[in-house]
Amino acid sequence: MTSRTDPIRLPAETRYAAELAALSAQDSAPRPAGWQLSPRAVRRFLLGDATLGIARKFYGDDPLVDRAIVSLMSQQGLMLVGEPGTAKSLLSELLTAAISGTSALVVQGSAGTNEDHIRYGWNYALLLAEGPSERALVPSPVLSAMRQGRIVRFEEITRCPPEVQDALISILSEKALALPELGADAVASAAPGFNIIATANLRDRGVHEMSSALKRRFNFETVHPIADPAFERELVLAQLAERLGAGGIAVTGARETAEVLVQTFSDLRCGRTTEGVALNRPDAVLSTAEAVNVLHAAALEAAYLDEGQLTGAHVARQLQGVVLKDCAEDGKRLRAYVEHIAKERAGRSAAWKAFYQSARTLRLD
Amino acid sequence: MEAAAPGEGQIHDRARDLWVVPIRHHSPACAAQLERLIAAVAPAAILVEGPCDFDPLIEAIGDPRTRAPFAVVALRETPGRQDAPAPAIRRVASYFPFCAHSPELVALHAARDRGIPARFIDLPSHARAMDADAALTEGRSLLGSEHPFTIGDYVRALARALGCRDGNEVWDHLFESRIAHPDWRAFFADTARYCAHIRAASDPASGEDDGTFAREAQMRALLAQTRAEIDGPILAVVGGFHAPALLAPPARADPPARTGAKTASRAYLVRYGMRQLDALRGYDAGLPLPGYYERLWATRTGPKNGKGRDDDTSPAALARTILTGFAAHLREAGAQGPAPEVPSVAVLVNAIEQAERLAALRGRPFALRDDILDAVRSTFVKGELARAGSPLMTEFHAWLTGTAIGDVPPSAASPPLVEAVRERARALGFTLSDGEHRTRHLDIYRKPRHRAASRLCHAMTLIGAPFAERTAGPDFRSDVALDRLHEVWRTSWSPHVEARLIALSEVADDLDEALAFVLAQSIAALPQAGRGRDARAAIELFAAACRAGLDTAPGGGTEALLALIEDAVIEDPEPASLVAALSDLLLLRRAGEALGIANPTAIDRLVATAWRRVLTLLPTLADTGEDRLDDALRALADLRGVLELARTAHDRLDGGLEKGTLDHRDFDTALERLAARPLAPLLAGAIEAFALIDGRRAPTALAARLSGELAGGYADPAERLAFLRGLIAIARELLWNVPEVLAALEGIVTGTDEDAFRALLPHLRLALMPLDPREIDRLAQRIAERLGTGSGTLTRSHAIGEDELAANLTLDHALARLLAEEGLA
Repeated sequence: MTSRTDPIRLPAETRYAAELAALSAQDSAPRPAGWQLSPRAVRRFLLGDATLGIARKFYGDDPLVDRAIVSLMSQQGLMLVGEPGTAKSLLSELLTAAISGTSALVVQGSAGTNEDHIRYGWNYALLLAEGPSERALVPSPVLSAMRQGRIVRFEEITRCPPEVQDALISILSEKALALPELGADAVASAAPGFNIIATANLRDRGVHEMSSALKRRFNFETVHPIADPAFERELVLAQLAERLGAGGIAVTGARETAEVLVQTFSDLRCGRTTEGVALNRPDAVLSTAEAVNVLHAAALEAAYLDEGQLTGAHVARQLQGVVLKDCAEDGKRLRAYVEHIAKERAGRSAAWKAFYQSARTLRLD
Repeated sequence: MEAAAPGEGQIHDRARDLWVVPIRHHSPACAAQLERLIAAVAPAAILVEGPCDFDPLIEAIGDPRTRAPFAVVALRETPGRQDAPAPAIRRVASYFPFCAHSPELVALHAARDRGIPARFIDLPSHARAMDADAALTEGRSLLGSEHPFTIGDYVRALARALGCRDGNEVWDHLFESRIAHPDWRAFFADTARYCAHIRAASDPASGEDDGTFAREAQMRALLAQTRAEIDGPILAVVGGFHAPALLAPPARADPPARTGAKTASRAYLVRYGMRQLDALRGYDAGLPLPGYYERLWATRTGPKNGKGRDDDTSPAALARTILTGFAAHLREAGAQGPAPEVPSVAVLVNAIEQAERLAALRGRPFALRDDILDAVRSTFVKGELARAGSPLMTEFHAWLTGTAIGDVPPSAASPPLVEAVRERARALGFTLSDGEHRTRHLDIYRKPRHRAASRLCHAMTLIGAPFAERTAGPDFRSDVALDRLHEVWRTSWSPHVEARLIALSEVADDLDEALAFVLAQSIAALPQAGRGRDARAAIELFAAACRAGLDTAPGGGTEALLALIEDAVIEDPEPASLVAALSDLLLLRRAGEALGIANPTAIDRLVATAWRRVLTLLPTLADTGEDRLDDALRALADLRGVLELARTAHDRLDGGLEKGTLDHRDFDTALERLAARPLAPLLAGAIEAFALIDGRRAPTALAARLSGELAGGYADPAERLAFLRGLIAIARELLWNVPEVLAALEGIVTGTDEDAFRALLPHLRLALMPLDPREIDRLAQRIAERLGTGSGTLTRSHAIGEDELAANLTLDHALARLLAEEGLA
């Protein structure tokens, strides 16, 4: 059992401190200025290295990791785009932890983000008492990263209004930020090692456009959902074990149930089943992370409310909340899936049968 | 005894002084290292893995006019499939492609330059073992399968360990990266080891099934034979997968070598394109995106003019060469039409840097194929990339595939079909020596030679060889162009023409055979295109066949088509499409001379069949649903056109369409049957029009019916005019030729109050829409005559006087000034 004072989640550099230390000790390859590890060690940190006992942390697209690391060495920023729940933020956290030693310099983009969050603000008490001074200045994570030669993360950049996003343009091209309040010549120049990782969603609701000028200053990498259902199942099961293990909970039947869940997600996400039957894609996001949430919730129900036997029925009951989020049509689409695809499969496996019988009773529309 | 250099034991059997060099097809690194090896070893004979019946072509391959990429194509006869429309014996073409960076080609060139014997040592191309894994599909590759390089547990595990995404990247990483490295011994020792591991990890049982063992036995036997004949080092260049089996001493159980003599297949040297080379990859021959490897091959000699210069030819400059080349290509493409955005210089610099740093991160001496692809992906595309790819990446792949087409000397023999067509085209005055586009005017009616040339052009179009494109000429479907005396063609003898002919060589030795085959294929394909019962599609095909000069006499190649048209006509349930087919048939009949139809009676029979079928179906028009009434009306209008056409066909063709083929009395009977059914007003109007034209109905009767309809108690005013609409669609001339019709119209216009008239007006306009301006004038004149005035008084123009104009202008200026003052201008 975890102790009461442990935080729910530790930052990557703390969680993997031992691995980072091991990598650093072994690392003889040249490091770019300002980097804590060489690019190859960063790669090993993300993709794993059995000889050093480093676990793999990012799955599905190894060349993408190479490209991301190399982009961070260049003059360009790195923009991670893709559907929600494709581990963009995880990737950016791991990269900053390995390269800069901290993943804590974060700007969280939202409709309320303003230029102060990107440039700097003031401690108004000190400002009134002393006038503008270095002491009264409150640096943003971006300014801190510039001064320390680290990488700053900008989460969900497209949720900021475009004029706020554009404050990054001069920072990315000049690698400097003027501080006119501290004097005409006061400029914060970025130390070597400074760069930005932004994550963005280009198609979700409530996101803004990005200006072409800003786009030009980034290298784009698209993070795709995992395409291989078997691999996704293993991943979901591993994450479930991690979560349940922390709570000391054990369930049976997780493997068969995860199979049903991942297959359902993958079918709905692609708009086509593995047998090649076409179906309507729901608008709702059906990411791997979402699948882990569903399975976790289903497992908790099985553990606390049933006899610890996880079945398709538990998963089916959780599915309603995932699919019915913002589009009423999605309920009908899920119902069609249950009544045609799941029904067909129910004849062949017990897990699908349980899933079908429970899903049939959901109020989906 | 001197000690072997390290690694030499992997490829050199000292006892037999035999070098077995393991290569991968189309690998520039293998080719470059092979050059070094040959220079060092100085062999006395060179043996290459390839069908032994290709030996006679080695001289042509070494001809200085032969330029890669080219291929040896082998045609082999096999019994045809039972269900195929083709002849019982069909030929299968398979290809053995060479490009400039093929190790096999380097080996053959080296043999030529050194004046030493060279020979192919694989089984003959017609041996069963040579296509055990390929079905009888078009365009198979005779290169050994390279499947082992891309699949299998060993390659997958290696890819994981090296951080590569697939077997091709593993190969590039381990071997292509060493193209400029001088140590050929270590290079081939490593390829040998790599291939031996792949072989060890593969299923031994599959070697029996796919013919691998049979081929290796053949190669061993020919090696032994050559060893016995020649002194000095012997060099065998073989696919890496086979190398371990060849270094082993000949097995006792090996059968004696088979030779290419008494061959059942024929082999020819043909031009080949990079694009086709890449397509063959589907059969696992060679490396993907040959354009990249071609550029890599150019770097094998290292820096020619010093590092870092613009004309640096070392592998280190490869990323820069390729990326700037692609940017230039995008700029050119952009100037010609829509193309992906051209990257700025900053993006280009970023991309080159990205490619080189990726290579460094992955531990490679220079940017390999995947590094460059990754760099473009990261830097050129600003936005989300769909899994299916983006136009830019597709363009980059296409560009890296390359479009180069090789050449073969004119003396090289070609398949009979190619020779036959070439000879015919040359005899008809076409230029075949280059791929230039030329325009040619053909006087097809007066000069037999021109007509023959036209037929060749049409025939080539029909068989799908892109030789000629018609830019002008008579079309049997339209009256006007039929009178044209000339056809204009744009022709060009490109490698694509030969490629298509070579593909057809499988089934045909001359153009007529090819035509018959393509026609049979097209007929068989009609049902798949959803046009199996479509008489018009079959007629179109028949016309094309006639233009191509196919024999239309009974028993000729078009008989099946005529039968097909007949079936389609008999089974067609739709009057509308039947009428269209009938009108096509009549047009075809009329253009018979221009099309060179030798046997018009067959078409006459078809016309008669279609006509009878139309008459049978005519009464069913009464059942037409409301939504399809307009289609039915159009069919009736077309029918009138057909009747007119038939009349002119009688006049124009001496002894043409037999009198009575389109019997008017039968038509009248059918119309009567239709008229007897309850009809929608639209159709009723059309039928009445026919009846009046034929004199079966008096004008007064028609006028009475029209007046009744116009004044009818329909809820929708449109209904009241439907009858008139039907009438006009069939015979608009009734409006001015039959005074009673106009009188009925006048009655309704004068007898309706203003509001009712206004409601009727839009529908009246719609009914009169088919009239062209001349007809409107004529109608206006008749109306004016009835009203006792001149037609000019019916149109009124509203002119304004000079004073009024001036006043208006003043007003306009004042308004503009006002707006400007208020800041609204």
